[in-house]
Amino acid sequence: MSKSDSKRQVILESAYQLFRAQGFDGTSMADITSHVGGSKATLYSHFPSKEELFVECMMAALENYMSDTLRHLDASRRDPEAALRNFGTSVLNFICSPEQLEVRRLMIAEAARCGSGKLFFDKITALRSQVSIFLAACMESGLLRRDDPDLAADYLGALLEAEILEPLLLHVREAAPDEKETMLAAQRAVDAFLRAYAPTVSLQKPIQGPTPTCETP
Amino acid sequence: MKTKTESKRQAIIKAATEVFREVGFERASMSDIRERIGGSKATLYNYFPSKEKLFFEVMHQAKELELEAITGKLDADTDDLKRELVSFGQKFMFVLYSADAIAVRRLAIAESRHSDIGRLSFEQATVPLEKQVAEFLRKVMKRGALRTADPKIAAIHLLSLLESELLHRVLLGVIDTVKPESLSGSVRRAVEAFLSGYERR
Repeated sequence: MSKSDSKRQVILESAYQLFRAQGFDGTSMADITSHVGGSKATLYSHFPSKEELFVECMMAALENYMSDTLRHLDASRRDPEAALRNFGTSVLNFICSPEQLEVRRLMIAEAARCGSGKLFFDKITALRSQVSIFLAACMESGLLRRDDPDLAADYLGALLEAEILEPLLLHVREAAPDEKETMLAAQRAVDAFLRAYAPTVSLQKPIQGPTPTCETP
Repeated sequence: MKTKTESKRQAIIKAATEVFREVGFERASMSDIRERIGGSKATLYNYFPSKEKLFFEVMHQAKELELEAITGKLDADTDDLKRELVSFGQKFMFVLYSADAIAVRRLAIAESRHSDIGRLSFEQATVPLEKQVAEFLRKVMKRGALRTADPKIAAIHLLSLLESELLHRVLLGVIDTVKPESLSGSVRRAVEAFLSGYERR
């Protein structure tokens, strides 16, 4: 990492902490400068505006998470159902972490003002398209019925967030869900998803590897 | 301090509704609202401690009643469940994705750390609506038109699927308004996905 890159990294980390603690309006470029050390000119040479810095540092955690998780999803194609269940639980744990909830609130609060909402949305779309590729492969192999994979990825995301996200986002509940709770919510979501996308029997191709087990109560 | 009256409270809400409609939330001020009803700023603040609270009250009351009325019409004995759900979904989403309702929702999330708007919004609107939908689904499951499952979870899944194509776009300000004709496709697809997820096999 060059000197400039490491400086950039330090700025991103400081800005992330300050924005989270004080919000977008409550944080000035001067605050960030004094937190990082160095001159305001250096700060501006890396990030021309507070808005751009805000978007960049809010994205950093999401991007890191995305690359890790998607690698995981890709590596486990032999057992897509298990992959989906693991993916679901992992995603839910990530988005319900206090950091990510705060990022989500800040992004929504500031979205209209500085145009950062579009950038955040583009990242979500990028994540979704990676999930779509995986789902398209499942459709191709006959594990899921053929349909629009982007839409399927939207539904999977919506089902995963359905039970837990809103009360947390609105501070109705403060305690982060424990692993058991996120795991169960993810299982219910993935279960509904797998049922919704179960292949129609007559069109079903032979499946290689483990068959999905959807228990019917 | 004078006793608060319901008629004064309603008068403030009416004036605030007009001001918010005319200039929008950002540009509306408590002074504008006070000018329209007369009286002192202290009186106004006595009823509503902030512009956010007032805005929430105005928009929320109206939307909440509309959404409850729409949800209350769900007929569990329908002979065409898909049509029933599509019709419900379109009316429900049209109200939930009106510019005013979106503004309230963004506000509730943005302000949730500093005020109880988020909690109020969830407890007074989201929870009762989910219960209504769950009660409908419970009856549908009971007569065997859907597989037996936890109706509360099924209701949350249904509502989330209905919103799935639009929620992020709207909350993040990528789109500001939703036209009824653009809703019909996403609602139909969501209902189809829900029914496949919850149909009897």
